[in-house]
Amino acid sequence: MIKLFSLKQQKKDGVDSDKSGSHKKSSAAQLRIQKDINELNLPKTCQVDFPDPDDLLNFKLVISPDEGFYRGGRFIFNFKVGQGYPHDAPKVKCETMVYHPNIDLEGNVCLNILREDWKPVLTVNSIVYGLQYLFLEPNPEDPLNKEAAEVLQNNRRLFEQNVAKSMRGGYIGSVCFDRCLK
Amino acid sequence: MAAIGKSKAGLDKNNKYDRQLRLWGDHGQTALETSRVCLINASATGTEILKNLILPGIGSFTVVDGHKVQGEDVGNNFFLTKDSIGQSRAKFATEYLSELNEDVSGDFMEEHPESLLESNSDFFSQFTIVVATNLCERTLLKLGKCLWEKNIPLLICRCYGFIGYMRLVVREHRVIESHPDNAHEDLRLDRPFKGLVQYIDSIDLNTMNKKDHSHTPWLIVLYKYLQEWKEKHAGELPKVYREKNQLKDIIREGIRRNEEGVLEDEENFDEAIKAVNTALNPTKISSQIQELFNDDECTNLHSESSNFWILVRALKEFVENEGNGALPLRGTIPDMTADSERYIQLQNVYHEQADSDISIISNKVHDLLVNIGRGGNITDQEIKTFCKNAAFLRLVRCRSLEQEYSEDSDKLKDLSHHIDDEEPDDVIFYVLLRAIDSFYDKYNCFPGWYTDQVESDVIKLKTCLSKLMHDWGLNCMIKDDYIHEMCRYGASELHTMSAFIGGAAAQEVIKIITHQFIPFNNTYIYNAMKQTSVTIEL
Amino acid sequence: MSCDWPGRWCHVQKFIERTGPFAHPDFEPSSESLGFLQETCKLLIIGAGGLGCELLKDLALIGFKNIDIIDMDTIDVSNLNRQFLFRPKDVGRPKADVAADFINTRIPGANVTPHYAKIQDYDESFYRGFHIVVCGLDSIVARRWINGMLVSMLQYEDGELQQESLVPMVDGGTEGFKGNARVILPGMTACVECTLDLYPPQVNFPLCTIAHTPRLPEHCIEYVRILLWPKEHPFGEDVPIDGDEPKHIQWIMDKSLERANEFNISGITYRLTQGVVKRIIPAVASTNAVIAAACSTEVFKLATSCTVPLNNYMNFNDTEGIYTYTFEAERKEDCMACSKIPKSITFSESDKLQDIITYLQESAEYQMKSPGLTTNIKGKNKTLYMPTIKSIEEKTRENLKKTLSELEFVNGQELYVADPTTPMTLTFKLSLGSNME
Repeated sequence: MIKLFSLKQQKKDGVDSDKSGSHKKSSAAQLRIQKDINELNLPKTCQVDFPDPDDLLNFKLVISPDEGFYRGGRFIFNFKVGQGYPHDAPKVKCETMVYHPNIDLEGNVCLNILREDWKPVLTVNSIVYGLQYLFLEPNPEDPLNKEAAEVLQNNRRLFEQNVAKSMRGGYIGSVCFDRCLK
Repeated sequence: MAAIGKSKAGLDKNNKYDRQLRLWGDHGQTALETSRVCLINASATGTEILKNLILPGIGSFTVVDGHKVQGEDVGNNFFLTKDSIGQSRAKFATEYLSELNEDVSGDFMEEHPESLLESNSDFFSQFTIVVATNLCERTLLKLGKCLWEKNIPLLICRCYGFIGYMRLVVREHRVIESHPDNAHEDLRLDRPFKGLVQYIDSIDLNTMNKKDHSHTPWLIVLYKYLQEWKEKHAGELPKVYREKNQLKDIIREGIRRNEEGVLEDEENFDEAIKAVNTALNPTKISSQIQELFNDDECTNLHSESSNFWILVRALKEFVENEGNGALPLRGTIPDMTADSERYIQLQNVYHEQADSDISIISNKVHDLLVNIGRGGNITDQEIKTFCKNAAFLRLVRCRSLEQEYSEDSDKLKDLSHHIDDEEPDDVIFYVLLRAIDSFYDKYNCFPGWYTDQVESDVIKLKTCLSKLMHDWGLNCMIKDDYIHEMCRYGASELHTMSAFIGGAAAQEVIKIITHQFIPFNNTYIYNAMKQTSVTIEL
Repeated sequence: MSCDWPGRWCHVQKFIERTGPFAHPDFEPSSESLGFLQETCKLLIIGAGGLGCELLKDLALIGFKNIDIIDMDTIDVSNLNRQFLFRPKDVGRPKADVAADFINTRIPGANVTPHYAKIQDYDESFYRGFHIVVCGLDSIVARRWINGMLVSMLQYEDGELQQESLVPMVDGGTEGFKGNARVILPGMTACVECTLDLYPPQVNFPLCTIAHTPRLPEHCIEYVRILLWPKEHPFGEDVPIDGDEPKHIQWIMDKSLERANEFNISGITYRLTQGVVKRIIPAVASTNAVIAAACSTEVFKLATSCTVPLNNYMNFNDTEGIYTYTFEAERKEDCMACSKIPKSITFSESDKLQDIITYLQESAEYQMKSPGLTTNIKGKNKTLYMPTIKSIEEKTRENLKKTLSELEFVNGQELYVADPTTPMTLTFKLSLGSNME
């Protein structure tokens, strides 16, 4: 049986013996993201950028696809990892305006592991691979940008042209896209 | 929006009660607000129970208590103060409790329940339920008899050291909305109704485009491939594991392939395959519902029959006729991968069938009312709620205290299974509490009440216990450790114990009042030493 | 004690002045135990909501006098159906203040100190002042935070836990008619982080369903909340959704209705809209009473040893009958919080960061491959070096050549090290000698 703590002593108010001052400890979320980041195994088309290296909870992912519709483009995603990590998924938004069936013009991304299928065993790496896959295999069946999805479904050539145009910073319909060629 | 008004202080009840309205609904709240609860003895346990009933807003409460407040009462009771020592416990507790919710009216009667039972037992007729704490055995039995005759539910509560005890005595409690935690869906894939067959036949998986194919609700997918399977198996459903796997393989074959022959990602097919295990259970009537059909109250309706039994009878007639052995369709489907249009269409197919079943039952209900010559109506809403919950109806019939206390009760003989063991379960504390009651009856004091008599009381309690077990025909041993522990308690009522039972008991009262959720039947023991508990019918 | 009266403590005394066969082996019946509860023992209650109000009453009535209670919230009308220390006139006031006032007034001798604050506003020196921490929280993040704090306060000598550094945590949680109570002895029994899987994940609908194939009323509400609100900014450019602002909920409901009608979906109500937007968890007085009572009983056991504490988790559900299930949650070997017994390393102030890294790579005990190091300097996270990420590596490379004193390390500095060779981030406690060559 557990021998319980020796409770019956006065607890001291305020400062205690440890003189190292007010050292805040790293949270579980912090320690876990450190592990995730240190072990990131990025595909060669991806790169992460930490504006503040001391803040591992906020960073950017740059995807530069080398094949598929989006070859030659450069797409920036913003990652926000909360204190709920890994119970809660990181919040990911696409900062580059992109013509893509699964990313809307506000930067919302429809990727299952970012929402309904997130599990604590998944890592930042899983998300990076998921996002990279979206550029290789855009999925028109469950779209966020319905117009783009319809074009992809009905006319792959046109879709390809539209993507190319959008990446050059042109108009698709009435929407003007950001130039994002490397 | 709900028609719940503003309270006296002008607070919107929708806001104030928001968190609970999400559990028992506006109709549950209305039932609560029209209820009248009687508490016997404003002990710590008693006031905690009332607190948890006043907060959610019962209609009114009445405290019956003839005691004057003692120092130890104030020690463990949040609703008494030092100034109240020596004065009426009923009065002070009522005052402090009333502060909890201005929508609830409180009343008290400074009288011992014994004398009230003698002089004016009709007093109790006005209540929806009576809650009794800290009554001696003799009074309890009298009270139990009185309320049983009046058909008023009684909940007995007690905290004794680290042991909590509750006994529910209700002749017949009917639950329509039991809110089961994980109920099977009612999809009828094994015996599809006409509307469903027609709808699914109008859909052709083979000719649709890729997008529609991958957004066809799994229910339709599963149904289609099930027909294929049935054709090859003389119309039978897959039953055993192997057969279910075969069906899964057939469904898997149906997944589309891309130009290179690679399987497409079709989530709806994955869902259909998963559903083979859960969605093909044969539609049947549970034994619980069957029992209701066979109950005398159902077969012999009379002019006094309650709404519940008339509804059950209509349900039975439906099952035996139009329903072809099945309950009315629940009419809901789970969410699934699908486009909005076809999901809503499918949902409507189920809705329409459910509505048509309800209207058949509704006609039967009205015919029955006429036939038995009973006045009063049964509303459409009530019939609808009943039909949607037809698979989850519950009936709780508790045994009376008299039955429990009769020495030749079989239930008492069965106790040996619980106590005759190296590791007896918590039922052992029921036996010990009964022995303590015998002790009290004999010595007019609880064992271990006085610190200097703990040791000698252990021996006396042991004698009481032996006699009790002998009378019950039990030939097993209870370890001395338990007897010692009960004497250690000396009838102490620790506040945290009162608070635990106060919460649990209040919830049972709410179940009785709202006829929602399922009360325990009939004895509940809580062991705070291990944080375990047990329910047993006695 | 002036505020006592005859018989006041007689219920409590029977438990602590008499022994019994089921008492804890360390239990010694004594009339002094009551004095300990009243004068010495200091409790901290985290949360002054449904559970917190109950906990405060329960603990004050069983003899604990010195209780601190911390909560960052103010009182809302929807609290009044269960948070019984609050009245309509208190709406808008800090929960902790009102709860403390009520108990101090009602229970003679009670000395409740309120903190209208976030738990994160206080540091270790505050939390170390308590004998037991009791939580009545509805937030997993807050639970994990306090759990991490209590675990980090543990002190080890030669890998051996120092008992006096241990502050037990008793934790309750409720949702509708379900609840749980647990006892955590940090470093000894399963902690919050060990059992993170027990908390159900948040329900999130797929974004594409919300955007294009809604089927449920909830999908329509989420559409308005997630996609439409940021586009339309109905109440101004930077106004976020306030779930307690009826105008906001009404707007979301109206727009949700429009969308639902478009797809022939029924079932949008104000109550549902607010429930989805605020992610409201139903709550009743009774469940809170039950769980807080079980927790308080456990606090009483821990403080008095009058019987053995719960080992270590109890689930409760009274939808169908009354159901309890008690079990021993197990520690996780690679728990992010409690399995990280800090390992000691000794370096001198003139050593460089590179020396530490070389040591981690070359010592027989660790043999790390590519350790990434962080620490905490003056309350701020600092990344010391991370070889695998180019952008971090470039910005932290210069740290390698810095001495430990240049890096502002102090004696007892904690270094967090992630490496592919270990299942989780390790904590190292640095003993800093001054130049002892």
